Amino acid sequence: MMWRRTLAALSLALFGFTGSAAAQTGTLEQVRQRGSLQCGVSTGLYGFSFQQDGKWAGFDVDFCRAVAAAVLGNPDRVTFVPLTAAERFDALKAGRIDVLSRNSTWTLQREAEFGLLFAAVLFHDGQGFMVRRNSGLTSALELGGKAVCVQAGTTSQGAARDFFAANAMTVEIKVYPDSASTLAGFAKGECIAVTTDNSGLFAERLKLDRPAEAIILPDIISKEPLGPVTRGDDLRWHNIVKWVAFALIDAEELGVSAQSLPQALQSNKPDVRRLLGLEGGLGRMLGLEDAWARRAIEAVGNFAELYERNVGTGSRLGIPRGLNQLWSAGGILYAPPVR
Amino acid sequence: MNRVLSLALLVAMLAMPLATSALAQAHKPPPETMDIGDEPGRVSTPETIIEDGPYARQMVFFRSSDPPNTVVIHTSERFLYVVMGNNRALRYGIGVGREGFQWAGLQKVTRKAEWPDWTPPPEMIQRQPYLPRFMAGGPGNPMGARALYLGSTVYRIHGTNQPETIGQAISSGCFRLANGDVIDLFERVPVGAKVVIRHGPQV
Repeated sequence: MMWRRTLAALSLALFGFTGSAAAQTGTLEQVRQRGSLQCGVSTGLYGFSFQQDGKWAGFDVDFCRAVAAAVLGNPDRVTFVPLTAAERFDALKAGRIDVLSRNSTWTLQREAEFGLLFAAVLFHDGQGFMVRRNSGLTSALELGGKAVCVQAGTTSQGAARDFFAANAMTVEIKVYPDSASTLAGFAKGECIAVTTDNSGLFAERLKLDRPAEAIILPDIISKEPLGPVTRGDDLRWHNIVKWVAFALIDAEELGVSAQSLPQALQSNKPDVRRLLGLEGGLGRMLGLEDAWARRAIEAVGNFAELYERNVGTGSRLGIPRGLNQLWSAGGILYAPPVR
Repeated sequence: MNRVLSLALLVAMLAMPLATSALAQAHKPPPETMDIGDEPGRVSTPETIIEDGPYARQMVFFRSSDPPNTVVIHTSERFLYVVMGNNRALRYGIGVGREGFQWAGLQKVTRKAEWPDWTPPPEMIQRQPYLPRFMAGGPGNPMGARALYLGSTVYRIHGTNQPETIGQAISSGCFRLANGDVIDLFERVPVGAKVVIRHGPQV
């Protein structure tokens, strides 16, 4: 008890110190002085953050490259810090990283209890179902009377049970100790469907002998909004990360892409000109150069390019845009305007 | 009688000059467009279905206020959606018009045909003089297994004898699907169905 209190006092003193130091020099200044961005990523998740020929690649990795381009003018000035699920939030709180870009779900607890702020939703994930193509199933509501494979100890197990109960369906839930045995159960035909988060299903499908024989149903039965995270005590830095995310989404909506950038710079449209820093002086309000968003788009493309290259049509995952399509084109992706 | 009339109408339609003036402008093709000409006479497996990869037919989440059976084409994405209601749509991979041959608008399916004949419009003959003036429907026909005629335009949603071109921008403004997929689409979409063609926003 006593020991615990001492430790608490000690850590308070320690954090108090770094806290005041951070107030004098915010994250933006630290990143500038260091000349590079410290970006927390996963230890390896295909499509999102993984190493390819010794270089980091993926959706979450490219987002950090966009932030580095907007802040430092160079997408290569990023140090990637691989973090496990258990250590990711502590690493952010302790200042080991400037931003966490690691398929993390935005929840109340993570903001209120851990003192963190999620900047935006960059990937709307959620629990889905994979079935065999020749099963003829087109909806999760057709699973009644069948068996579904799920990994033990995951939130997917409870969510599946709740979903079937809510829809008055009798479904046998077969539980397996890990993801490999869950997939093996599905492959052997012990169940008609396997359920976990959608992004995970697309990755698991690639491990099947014949991936083309399995499809992922369009139903999403839970909310797993993934996005970049910053510390809650540096709103200026938080705003920068947030608006880089919004800028990439707005760029897609405006038709500004890495490919169309030369034409976009000649545009007469006020929305396009403000986004690219040709008018409005908005970059300076963030503490950046006016070309901040232009640099980010140059580096990684707009949201569509970022998505398709890493997890969509340009990747082996081939995850349809679905919920992650723009609000104006069938999805729910919506960013406030850059103005 | 009716048949003769619709044939005459069709010929008149095909003879109509292509709508956009942009077509006349010379465009340097961006890297993603492939320079593959039509290959009349080339016979592919007649009922190819794209079974793997992003262009495989699949049910996806798709918010829409359009009634079921509405066709929504996203040119820049290379996807065609058939709205199914309840926030979902059946998505097909398509080939679209090459740069300068893409268009947007609201149309209706005015006619459907199995193994349609092909009469390239004069503008197309002018650009590609080696094309035949007429080709009877069949497995080697670039129009493929089925065609859905869009309003009174020269454009169709049709099959192809080049299924490997799905996902690319190489056509003269038509939307092409693999033959097996266009057969599936043909069965689902009735004459009179609404067709929304969306082009990406222009800067």
